Formats: sequence, structure tokens, C-alpha cells
Amino acid sequence: MIKLPTFKLEPVNLSRDEFRSLSLEGLWRNNPGLVQLLGLCPLLAVTNNVVNGLGLGLATIIVLLASNVAVSAVRNFIRQEVRIPTFILIIAANVTIIDMLMKAFFHDLYNILGIFIPLIVTNCAVLGRSEAFASKHEPVRAGLDSLMMGIGFMLVLMVLGGMRELVANGTLFSQAHLMFGEAARGWVISFGKDFHGLLLAALPPGAFIGLGLLVAMKNSIDQRLRKPAPKAATVAAAPSATAGEAA
Amino acid sequence: MIQTLRKLWNIHGGLHLDYHKEDSNQSPARDIPLPAELVIPLQQHMGYKPNLTVKAGDYVYKGQELAEHNGFMKVPVHASTSGTITAIEERPIAHPSGLNDLCIILKPDGKDDWGNARMTPYPDHTQVDGEVLRKRICAAGIVGMGGAVFPAAIKLNVHDNIPISALIINGAECEPYITCDDRLMREKPEEIIAGIQIMMHIINTQQCLIGIEDNKPQAVAAMQAAIASSGDTRIQAIPVPTLYPTGGEKQLIKILTGKEVPSGGRPASIGMICHNVATARAIYRAIALGEPLVERYVTVSGSGIAKPCNLNVPVGTPVQHLIEQAGGYTQAVHRLLMGGPMMGITLNNPQIPVVKATNCILVEQPKPVPPAMPCIRCGRCMETCPANLLPQQLYWYSRSREFDKAENLHLFDCIECGCCAYVCPSHIPLVDYYRFAKAEIRTQRDTKRKAEIARDRHEFRLERQERAKREKAEKLAKHREQAQTSTDDGKKAAIQAALERAQAKKAAAQQDNPA
Amino acid sequence: MMFASHSTSTAPLDVSQVMRQVLYALIPGTLLLLWFFGWGLLTNWVLAIGFGLGFEAIMLKWRQRPIQPFLLDYSVIVTAWLLAVALPAYSPWWLMAAAMLFAVVIAKHLYGGLGYNPFNPAMVGYAAMLVSYPLQMTAWPAPLDAGFGQVGFEQTMQLVFGGASPASWDGFSAATALDTVKTDLRTHKPLMDIYAKETFGWLGGRGWEWVNLAWLLGGLWLLRQRIISWHIPAAFLGSLVLIAGMFWIIDPAQYTSPLFHLFSGAAILGAFFIATDPVTASTTPRGKLIYAAGIGLFIYIIRTWGGYPDAVAFSVIIMNMVVPLIDHYTQPRVYGT
Repeated sequence: MIKLPTFKLEPVNLSRDEFRSLSLEGLWRNNPGLVQLLGLCPLLAVTNNVVNGLGLGLATIIVLLASNVAVSAVRNFIRQEVRIPTFILIIAANVTIIDMLMKAFFHDLYNILGIFIPLIVTNCAVLGRSEAFASKHEPVRAGLDSLMMGIGFMLVLMVLGGMRELVANGTLFSQAHLMFGEAARGWVISFGKDFHGLLLAALPPGAFIGLGLLVAMKNSIDQRLRKPAPKAATVAAAPSATAGEAA
Repeated sequence: MIQTLRKLWNIHGGLHLDYHKEDSNQSPARDIPLPAELVIPLQQHMGYKPNLTVKAGDYVYKGQELAEHNGFMKVPVHASTSGTITAIEERPIAHPSGLNDLCIILKPDGKDDWGNARMTPYPDHTQVDGEVLRKRICAAGIVGMGGAVFPAAIKLNVHDNIPISALIINGAECEPYITCDDRLMREKPEEIIAGIQIMMHIINTQQCLIGIEDNKPQAVAAMQAAIASSGDTRIQAIPVPTLYPTGGEKQLIKILTGKEVPSGGRPASIGMICHNVATARAIYRAIALGEPLVERYVTVSGSGIAKPCNLNVPVGTPVQHLIEQAGGYTQAVHRLLMGGPMMGITLNNPQIPVVKATNCILVEQPKPVPPAMPCIRCGRCMETCPANLLPQQLYWYSRSREFDKAENLHLFDCIECGCCAYVCPSHIPLVDYYRFAKAEIRTQRDTKRKAEIARDRHEFRLERQERAKREKAEKLAKHREQAQTSTDDGKKAAIQAALERAQAKKAAAQQDNPA
Repeated sequence: MMFASHSTSTAPLDVSQVMRQVLYALIPGTLLLLWFFGWGLLTNWVLAIGFGLGFEAIMLKWRQRPIQPFLLDYSVIVTAWLLAVALPAYSPWWLMAAAMLFAVVIAKHLYGGLGYNPFNPAMVGYAAMLVSYPLQMTAWPAPLDAGFGQVGFEQTMQLVFGGASPASWDGFSAATALDTVKTDLRTHKPLMDIYAKETFGWLGGRGWEWVNLAWLLGGLWLLRQRIISWHIPAAFLGSLVLIAGMFWIIDPAQYTSPLFHLFSGAAILGAFFIATDPVTASTTPRGKLIYAAGIGLFIYIIRTWGGYPDAVAFSVIIMNMVVPLIDHYTQPRVYGT
């Protein structure tokens, strides 16, 4: 007979340092978009402007947060052999809820993001955090981790979206009304009618080039921060930068 | 008139260079006065160091053995003149990395006295067993004088299962500036032919092809005349097209016979033996005159020397002495090379001695070395590579230390001729990268082999210990068992005895009390 | 082998000498273009070289490489020159700037600079512009209609720097021969009627056939100088002619002739000057044949059934991608193996 562990609220002693390191991990050091290079499919597909990036980013944050808190809460009840299907079930349930909510309240944005909302289920960044972190930590830490990972992912989506929107159309925050209502129509920043937008940036190659540049930028900032380190470190960092560009 | 009778084959690639042969080949090779001091490196061949037989302070005659050759891949060295050994110490030698090595320092007494150091001559080699001749060649300290310095006697040791179809004699001398073989062929063709006949006797072959580049018509004519006067129809001197690096052993064999030495193999595996003309002459002198190899022709040439010439030089003569004999430098600043401009070794010190492999001392005006630019994959290296390798790919892999990939692209078939580096529009020192990669791979293999041996030993030791333990345990167990059984038996016997006694008593009692 | 059997005893070339010879070979065709397009070609040329050298210097500085030797190797000038003749004459300055940015910064230096770029920089610049600005990139004026006499210097400045809207280009530019064939065939016009149009000359596009002959002349000179080997041009043009000839024989009313394919677009320029870029081409003899034949094949496919009238840039980039694979499978037989 299987003896079920009893569910009890675990004491949480989250120190300031741990809070900082968990946040930094998700936002920068282990950013899912720039370092882990996870969830590239939506990352590359929907980032042709800031608003799309923001929309998908928010949806991903909510899914991440809800799923990973749930995974963490039930982690002691799940047998090792079936944990992946269970995680997927939890994530899928959350995605379905988000999908329906967006259909109801942000229908125009939903139409644009289309298939990529249901596809969050297969976003490796979500399952990855469940498997690597939430299934080993209690809900508070899991929640914090997924929140920070989600924000990190969203920021990459927005920056990439911004870059591509700017280069391709010469605007920022176009279509903001889809998310924030008619009042947001005026938020659009435009760089003039004569702007010869580079269509390539809005096309798939633009997404790859843009992500490559972002990864290179991140690595180069890291390198500069590590400047006092010996020369060998800079040499070792070089291949990762080129790998990023190649991606 | 040069006669071409044979069909010749082509090699891939190759280069036409500025040869500058006329600079030094216009006059006969001169003998030179002895230097103040001879520096004779102990090891002048590929293989292992011979064992010293002299010590500082000894007086030696010319030709006397200074180090003996008992053992595999060892070749002796001999005194190049008579005199006193002043020291045996580390001196700089000709080495790509500028290393020092053990040298015997000989102060000549000026008499150049052979004493009785000459070995017994064999005037008619056909009456002597090949094995005896081979031993003599080794004892005379003869190595490949074209630059490979492989012990000649070992090269002549052929296996019965692969008959030797031809002896190839290398008179190509394809590097610019060098003319010592050219002069030798013009001046001593009879000695070369006689040496060839000795070799043919040893390896038992009926054909000898002498390949000479067609920019040396006088040498070809001299050799053909010598062959004609010897009446030996088995030997042919064949002019081959002038193309660097025709003088590469593998390349010359391909050109003369159309056969390719298999990758990783030696010419002997396709029934060929290849020797240099100077080696052939040294063999003649060792057999017919009993003289060991103590001198050789050396070209001193280049734009930085006053009077380019060929000299007959005792082994061990410092390079500085040769330069003085050739009129000295034309400029204060110069670059010294041992060997030709394509494959030579840069010398950092003019006191470095001439060795058995030294064919040329080249004094060049120093040229500013253009900075290496990135490879643009133009493929010129590939077009000139005589081994048909992919030099630029080898370069990528050597540079990025992906040695296994370089090996898969046949890095070890590279003959380091330098054609690729010569034509490289980006001035990349390609051969340096290949040498580096080869050395690294060899070190890795060595470490691996050593590790394997160590592991085998360790495993064997563990097994031995295990076995010892097991045997000990078994022994102990046996011993215990024996002890056990013996005590058990004793107890049983005692009990048995007691029971028997009791029964006997009973019986006796019953007998005593009949009912 | 070819190289060896003809090689002279002169000192070998270095990179800058090789590049300089390529530039000399570009001169005849460029002069002809200059006659046809006047100021428009000159501005293209000056802008391309200027932006090219500028971006190269900035990137070298940023990457902490020595600036002088790399600027003097002429490789960036070859790239710039190719784009100057590939982009339509009278291109606006920003178009040339963006093309050079893609070519020098993204396609060349982000991959590690000279020798490390997998894609032909000039063609990356061209393709990025063609995808992004199809209107401006197909706005070729008709040859001679825009020569020195026809379009003045001031008007040129207006066109290049004045930010004239694309609408003003319509009367100015004429569809090229390849363009015309493509659009008219869609409307099921018979090929004979299409050929009767003004843009067609005696071999291909009117005027363009002469430019192509001049590229051919320069290319043959490069062959003679042994700067390039025969493999790439021969296989490139051979495969294009072969496949074009096959379809032409099957249905000459529907498919244009091989000669038209050779002399209307950028095929000859591509065969001698673009596909032969050693950095991005295959290096083995057999590999070069496969690589160049692939380019010829893709050009025909895209010209005939694709969305763009010409396809040298896309075809070269596609084949650049498979070069490592081709090189791996076409290694020559090493001596003794």
C-alpha cells in the first residue's frame, strides 16, 4: 500500500540575499530568452511589435506562475515516473484558462497572437522551470522564480518587438489599443511618414538577426562587467557570442 | 645531349621557383682549411643516441669512432680529423626550436692523420655478403644525406617477402640555391655509380633509376657518361622536369615509376628503396676505401654571402668558418638558414656545426615578414600541394586544436615542403601550424600509450594482489578446514572410544550377571 | 594541376593584389554602365565605397583590429563596387547605406571579419534590400535614358539625397527585360510579342547585353590572370544554359532562350565576380563544380517559377549555406591513399 505524504504548509525562510539572487537569475543571469534560448518559437514568431510581445509575455507570466506554484504544491504527491505528464496537464489547464480569458477580453490581440497562446503549453521555458525548479522547491520560491523568469522572458519579447517595430515601421507601441482600449491609440510613437522601414526586420530573418544581436549585447555587457578577469575569460566568452549570432 | 627514354608521371601541384643555382655551381667544390675547433653532435640521425667511447683529453685519429652503435636505430659518429677531445658538453645545434644537445669538441692538431682508424676495405663487394656490407655501412656512420638522416643501413635492410623492384637514387636537388649534389654528380659520378652497385648488391635488385632535375644538364651528362663507362646497363640516369618538390622521396618515386607510396607506409612496401646521391658516394667510400662518413659537400649561397660556392667540409665545422671561406657576409644584417629556403631551419647562432645532413648554408638578406592576414580560402595552397591535401582545412583544424579532424584529413601525409605557405596570399606560416599539430598529436599518443601501459601495470598489480590475497585466503581456508576436520575427527574418535568403552563395560557387566 | 603547369617564377600574390586584380576586371563593365547611367552610377559608386570604408573602419576599431592592413586589403572595396553596380542607378543614399550596413557589419564583421563570413557580404546586402525595398530595388532607368546628357547633376542630387518619394520614380524607371518577361508571361502573352517590346535588344535586355559582354571580358581576363579558376564560371553558366536550353527546346513559346538568360540579368557578373568569392565558395575542384552548378540551377528555378525576376543573390546565398557540406564530401584523393 502506498503511503501518501500529508500535505502541510512548509515554513518559508526567504532571505534577502536569496530573493535577490532568484530575481537576478530570472531577469538576467539565466534569462530564458537570452541565455537558455528556450521558447524560441513564440519568441521569434510574435515579436514584430512591442504590444504583441507584451501580450504574449503577460500570458506566459501568468501561465508560468500559476503552473509552477501548482506543480510545487503537489510535488510531494507525484511519483517520479509520471511527473512530466502531470506537469504538462497542469500547464495545459492553465493555458486553456488564459486562452479563454483572452478570447473573452482581448479578442483583437487574441486574433493576432493566434496559435501562439495555446502553444505556450509546449513552451520549454514553462516546462523547464517546472522540472528544474518548481518540482524541487516549495511554492513561495517556485512562485518567485517563475515570476522572475516570466518577467525576464517578457522583457526580451518586448525589447525584441520594439527593435523590430522600430526598424521595420519606424513606430513604437502601435496597436496598443488592442490591449489598453481606445485611449491607447495616442500612445503610438512614430518617426515620421518618410521613414523607409526595413521590411526585413518584420520578417522571420529580422527576428533571428535581432535575437542574435540581443544575445551578443548581453554577453558583451557581461564581459565588460567581468573586466578585471584575466584575458582567458574573454576568449572563452567569444564562442558563445558567435553561437548567439548564428542562432 | 640529354636523352629521355622513359615515360614519366606527373605529381599534383608543385611550384616553379627562382632557383639561383648558377650562383654556386660554377666552380668545383673546394677543400677548406681546418677550423680551430670541431663540434661534433653525438646524434646526427633519426633514432637514439649512440654510446660515447671517448672522454675529454683523449687523442683521436681521423676516422676514429667517437661513439658506438650497439643497439637499434643507433649510428656511430667519427672524428673528422685527428686531434684532442677538449670537452664533451651541450652546445647549440641545428634544431627548429634552437635546442642544445650533447656534442664532442675536437681540437684539430692539423696533421689530419688517419692513423690506423681506417676500416678494412672490401675492394670487390660482390664477393662479400650483403649483411656484412650493411654492418659496415652502419659502422661507417652513414645516414640519409638528403636531409632525412634515416640510418642508411636500416633502409637497406629489406624483407624477403617484398622483393625490391628498383633502387631510386635521388639527384633531383629541387630546392633553390642548393648545388652540392649537382657538383658531386659532376665531379664524382664514378664513386656514386660504384656506391649504387654496392647497394644493388645488398638489396638484390636489377634496376636503378637516378632522377635528376633537368636544370642540371651537366650533372645528367656526367652521370650518363659514368654509367656508360661502367658498362652497367641496369642503371639509368633520368632527367625529370624541374618542379619543386620533385626531390621529395614520395614525389620522385611517383614521377619515375608512377607508383605511390601508401599513406603511412615506406617505399619498401611497394618494392622501392630511395637514397640520395651523396649517400651512395659515402657508401662507396665506406666499402671500397674503409672510410667512415666524416666530410661532405656543402653549398654556401644566398644573397647575403660574398662568394657563393661549394665546399668539402669536415662534419662538425662551425657555420661561421664556412662563411669566412665563402668570402664573408655582404651585409651586417643577415638571416642564416641550414638547408634550402623552402624547408631550411633558421640558425640563431653562427657557431652551430655542420652535420651529416647539412646540404646548404643559406645567407639571406632579412626580409620584413608581412603580417599574417586571415585565410580567405582561396585554395592556392591546395592547388600547389604535392600530396593533394587540403592545406587550408588542415590549418583551420590545427589552429582550433581539432587534431582528430586534422588527422582524418591526412595531416601525417604532409611532407612539410612549404609550397602552401609560399603561395599563401595571406602570408600564413602554414607549415608551422602542421608541425605544431603533428607534435601535439604525437605527444597525445605518447601520453595515451604511457597511460595505457600504466593502467595495464596497475591492473596487473591489482590482479596480482587480488590473486595473492585469494590464494592466501584459500590457503588459510584449507588450513582451517584441515584443522577443523582434524579436531572434529579427534572429538568423534574420543566420543566413539568412550561409547565403546561404555558398551564394553556394559557387555562385561551383563556377562558378569547372567540372568 | 592547372596552376602548377602554368605557374611562373614570379613571387606569389598577396590578398590585396588579388583583390586589386578583381577591381581592374570590373572596370570595363563599370565604364559602360557609367555611359548608360551617368551621374546615377557615379553617386552609387561614391556612396558605396564611402559607406563601405566607413563601416569597415568603425567595425575594425570596435573589434580592436588593426585598421590599416584590413582597409588596404581592398576586400571591402570589392564588396562595395559590386553593390554599386548591382543596386539601381540613382539609388537613394539611405538604400546604399543600408545595403553596405548589411554587407559589411552584419554579413562580414559579426561573423568575424575577412575570411570568416559564410555568406557573400555583397549578396547579403543586396538580398536584404531586395526583400525590404522591392520598389526601389527594381527601379532601374532604361539604359542611355539616364545618361550624363539626360539627367543633370542637380536632378541627381534631388533623386539621391532629396528624399523623392517612390511615386516620382515611376515615370523614370523602366521594367528590365527579366521583369517584363515575368509579368507578361503571367498574362499569357506570347513570348514573341514580349520580345518585340522596347526593352529587348539583340541578345537580352537592350543595352544590358553590352554590359554583360563587358563583365564577360573582365571575367575572362581574371581567368587568364589565374585569379579565379575556370570551375566556378563554367559550372555556373553551364548549368544555367543547360537547364534553360532543356525547357526552351521543349517549349520555346513559353520559356526564354539560354542566351536570353545569360545576357539579361546578373548571371555573368555573378559567375565571374560574385560566386568566385573564395571565402564563401567551395574550395575543392569537384566542390566548386557542384557549388556553381547549384547556383545556376537555383537562378533558373527562381527566375522561371519564383517571385523575383532575378535570383543571383538568393542562389548564391543558398549555395553558400551548403559549402561546408560540399567541401566535406568532395575531398581530393590524397597521395598514397
